[in-house]
Amino acid sequence: MAPSHGDSALASGSRRMLLTSLETRSTVYVGGKGGVGKTTVSSGIAHALAARGRRVLVASTDPAHSLGHLWRVSVGDSPVLLAQPQGGELHGVELDPQATLERHLAAVRATMDRMLPERMHKAAREHLDLAAQAPGSHESAMLERIASVTELTGTEFDTVVFDTAPTGHTLRLLSLPERLTGWTERLLANRDKSERYQAAMSSLVTGRHRDEPESELRQMLHRRRQRFAAMHTDITDGSAGFVAVTVAERLPLAEHAELVAELDVLGIDLAGVVVNRRAPSESGALLKARSALEEAALADQPPAAPGTPLVSLPLMAEDLTGAEQIARIGSMLTG
Amino acid sequence: MKTLEEAYAGPYRQSLARDRRDEDDLFTLVVLGEALGVPDPAAYYTMELMPYLYQDFHAWHRRMGIPRSPLDHVACC
Ligand SMILES: Nc1ncnc2c1ncn2[C@@H]1O[C@H](COP(=O)(O)OP(=O)(O)OP(=O)(O)O)[C@@H](O)[C@H]1O
Ligand SMILES: [Mg+2]
Repeated sequence: MAPSHGDSALASGSRRMLLTSLETRSTVYVGGKGGVGKTTVSSGIAHALAARGRRVLVASTDPAHSLGHLWRVSVGDSPVLLAQPQGGELHGVELDPQATLERHLAAVRATMDRMLPERMHKAAREHLDLAAQAPGSHESAMLERIASVTELTGTEFDTVVFDTAPTGHTLRLLSLPERLTGWTERLLANRDKSERYQAAMSSLVTGRHRDEPESELRQMLHRRRQRFAAMHTDITDGSAGFVAVTVAERLPLAEHAELVAELDVLGIDLAGVVVNRRAPSESGALLKARSALEEAALADQPPAAPGTPLVSLPLMAEDLTGAEQIARIGSMLTG
Repeated sequence: MKTLEEAYAGPYRQSLARDRRDEDDLFTLVVLGEALGVPDPAAYYTMELMPYLYQDFHAWHRRMGIPRSPLDHVACC
């Protein structure tokens, strides 16, 4: 067997492996460094899954959305139909946490109005606005939006593919469910202690009982803890897979290795690796030299452990926007 | 005049009341963090706990040794 034939047989094996790995997931997160091709690859993957007869939603979690640009259609906070390949369906959505944040604020305001005397309403509202502007609040609202989209799997969609923001943001977001579970547990432990002291006091002298608001507060904390724990399970039980996109240069490969290590710490499955924009080795001196550099970098810093689907996508001359190009990328990644 | 029972239980009750208050104060501090200038990464979720604390806010900041309301917009004193 000629070496080139061997290489391509290997490559097509990897593509089939990637497809198989993705077909078992209900959610797929596509992530990597800024500009490596996350948006392009996530739509390509989503299209390939839809072409296998699935109902797929591609959801952008990057506040700098570019899903609409890629498809050359207008996409917003509610899903729109993007393509219907071979009996499947592909929908797209650009998640906007602002609306979620506002609904949340309105609900908290209603509780405040119910619980606080009239004279405190104004102060409480101003306080609430401060909390809404906290940097973490937008991120939490995005987490809530991701959780609600994830809930659509099994009903409206078979698979949700997330086109995520550059690495750091996404890792933070994915670590939130576990950290917030811990946060809720600490608050609940604090309420438990307070309650025990209160109960001990009451047993010394028959005293007053715990008031209603306290039990409402505890119920709220319990509900939150359950929800955070469920979100954590959703991303770590193997039903979710992460596709890490990189380019074959030394610095991006080093950052990619950190991402892979961090996913392992978080307990999120690496479903596959895509090395994007590979320089062709057979055309022109410049690209040939680039290709050799990339080969050396990949040999030094292998982007995937043996057993993890590893797929390459060549550097392409065309403008990669519009349904036709996305379908083509999809089959290049999985066919 | 104190009953015998009260005389016996009094000191324990005081210490339990203090322990409970310490827990409650810590809770208040965590929930009001963002408004007090302590960055709170969970502000989205703490804000829904705020209504349950406002009533006790004045007593809390006095206990914390802050004589005037530390929240500009809460003129409780
Ligand atoms: N294999 C490729 N060949 C040529 N151009 C590519 C290839 N993959 C992606 N591009 C182009 O590179 C640019 C960046 O791609 P894309 O928007 O998918 O990256 P991204 O990782 O989502 O970026 P961001 O971090 O800004 O969200 C786009 O113009 C895209 O068309
Ligand atoms: Mg993008």
